Amino acid sequence: MAAVNEAPHMMTDAAGITAELRRGGSGAPLLVIHGEFGVPGWLESFAQLAEHYDVIVPSLPGYGRSTRPDWIMDVHDLAAWVTWFARDLDLRTPANVIGCSLGGWVVAEIATVAPQFFNKLVLVGAMGIKPERGEIFDYFLEGGLTGLRRAFLRPEQSSEFMRYWGKEWTAEEADLIEQHREMTCRIAWKPYMHSLTLPHLLPGVITPTLLVWGREDAITPLECGEIYQHAIPHSRLTIIENCGHMPEIEKPAEFAHLVENFLAG
Amino acid sequence: MTRKFFFFSEMGYNAYPVEAFEKYGYSALLFPNSIFDPEKARDLWQMFLREHEYASEMGFDGSVCNEHHNNVLSMQESVNISAAVISQRIKGTIALIGNPLPIHDNPVRVAEEIAMLDLISSGRIISGFVRGTGIEQLSTNANPAYNRERFEEAFALIKKAWTVPGPFRWEGKHYHLRVVNPWQLPLQKPHPPIWAAGILSPETIRWAAKQRITYLVLGSALDATATCRDIYHEVAREDGWAPTSGHLGYLIHTCVMDTDDEAYDMGRHHYGGASVIGRSGGVAQSALSSGTGSAGAAGGGPHPEWMAPPGYMSKQAKTSNMARERRMSEGSYDAALRAGLIVTGSPKTIIQKFKHIIDRTDPGYLTFWAREGKKPHDATMRGIELLGKEVIPALREHPSALVTGKEVTPWPQ
Repeated sequence: MAAVNEAPHMMTDAAGITAELRRGGSGAPLLVIHGEFGVPGWLESFAQLAEHYDVIVPSLPGYGRSTRPDWIMDVHDLAAWVTWFARDLDLRTPANVIGCSLGGWVVAEIATVAPQFFNKLVLVGAMGIKPERGEIFDYFLEGGLTGLRRAFLRPEQSSEFMRYWGKEWTAEEADLIEQHREMTCRIAWKPYMHSLTLPHLLPGVITPTLLVWGREDAITPLECGEIYQHAIPHSRLTIIENCGHMPEIEKPAEFAHLVENFLAG
Repeated sequence: MTRKFFFFSEMGYNAYPVEAFEKYGYSALLFPNSIFDPEKARDLWQMFLREHEYASEMGFDGSVCNEHHNNVLSMQESVNISAAVISQRIKGTIALIGNPLPIHDNPVRVAEEIAMLDLISSGRIISGFVRGTGIEQLSTNANPAYNRERFEEAFALIKKAWTVPGPFRWEGKHYHLRVVNPWQLPLQKPHPPIWAAGILSPETIRWAAKQRITYLVLGSALDATATCRDIYHEVAREDGWAPTSGHLGYLIHTCVMDTDDEAYDMGRHHYGGASVIGRSGGVAQSALSSGTGSAGAAGGGPHPEWMAPPGYMSKQAKTSNMARERRMSEGSYDAALRAGLIVTGSPKTIIQKFKHIIDRTDPGYLTFWAREGKKPHDATMRGIELLGKEVIPALREHPSALVTGKEVTPWPQ
């Protein structure tokens, strides 16, 4: 089957908000929860996965064009919202779920309380865990572009970085970057990008979990992936070489291939 | 009301080595405190407090103090401590501009401290409240995305603590207090005058007008200040009331010396980056070449994020005409002078300039930011003397053209 290069892009009233949703492909549902940079478009990795799966990519409240209810103030609120959204969408569960970076933290929180939600889980450069040696890069001490560039090992060599962020931003694009930074600030300011309870709850996760980390992740240290791997019983950590914080964008083919193998296995 | 004239000094740590600016390119937040020298700071404190005292002796109506964190701009990490000390050194009013409310997790503590100040000073306190700069949010880990919500909720809580008999309970969005029942209450009733101070955020100006409290414009260009007054009056008109001059304060960099030339040269200390609020790059460079103070330093630099962390500033505030007017005046020392960000001159010249400023903005509280940067102590004292003895008496009864309808006093050539 050919890659699904375009996907329906719609606004839908669900889970108490008007949510932006991209959805393409057919097969078993595969829910993708994005990270702190939102969903820039229908990514190459989504297109590849859509050859075998019904890839469902909502923008979380406050990201993209999804509206922002003021009651959402932390990651647990987002986690609850995701499960509500899935119900409103009649998503067949247990489902396969990918969570990237901040979205990885969101779905890890769901996994600690609602194992019935998941068939298999993929966490990519996931936030949520405080590293013991290094630190999670602090986006809020730097500008939007600095953080974005740092999320890639070689931004100029990533066709999708260049497509979405590598040119001079329009006023609307700059506003969207700031909107995402603000929303992330609202939910993950303190403690910064991690939970004090999550590490203690992860040993109770029963979902088979694939952890994917870029070797050169300069945002969420690889050490966080190792901590996740030690904490979650049925997990394995796969490292993508020559790759930064966002393998789903910097190494789309390799990433999609890994996920496909894991879900099929 | 009769116009009041106050003295202001950031009381900044001006003993930094200039090379450190070159090395780091900024002077706040991450500027390492290994550069700080406590013995120099001790001496600076004595000098600064003497300047406040002298302003009072020379006829100023009061002193203004404020608060910043992690910043050479100001050594006042607690405005309430500054006010407590100054209240024992001067005769007049002490205006706090002010307590940065969002950085506090217990606003009742602020209500208690202001009440203490009001009692200790026999009712000489003006209690300003501010949102704090972006750097304050980063320094104190106050979530910038909730800055305005926290400001407004803390304000409401403090006002209630002062005016509604306790005990009561407060269960808000950001503040949760089992018992609100501060034992000491302010001497002034119903509470000390409340000001809001800002650098021209339109939302804050509108909010202040809605609350009918004095808005103090902090060190901004003349045109922008006039626009601020217009917005305030427009909101008041919509709400059916007429502000007085007492609803506007204007804090302005002022350097008066015996001659225009001396004042022009000395005024450079008000310009540049010595006490820049976290800015850097070109600003720091201009400080090295041009001056040592903070006027003209409101934009640019590699870390504007520190001044506007995510959610701290609305899109409207970032793109407003006033923001643009402010930026336009940030080019050079001479541009800052032309924009009225810094006012310099001999007493004769500066009296005419301030008559022009009063004619265009009619501030009930005119605050001279008369010590800044590395300006020498003796020059500062001479400036305070000239302001107190010659300038203030000449301006005190000058009615604004906004009130009289007469022609605006021309700006001296």
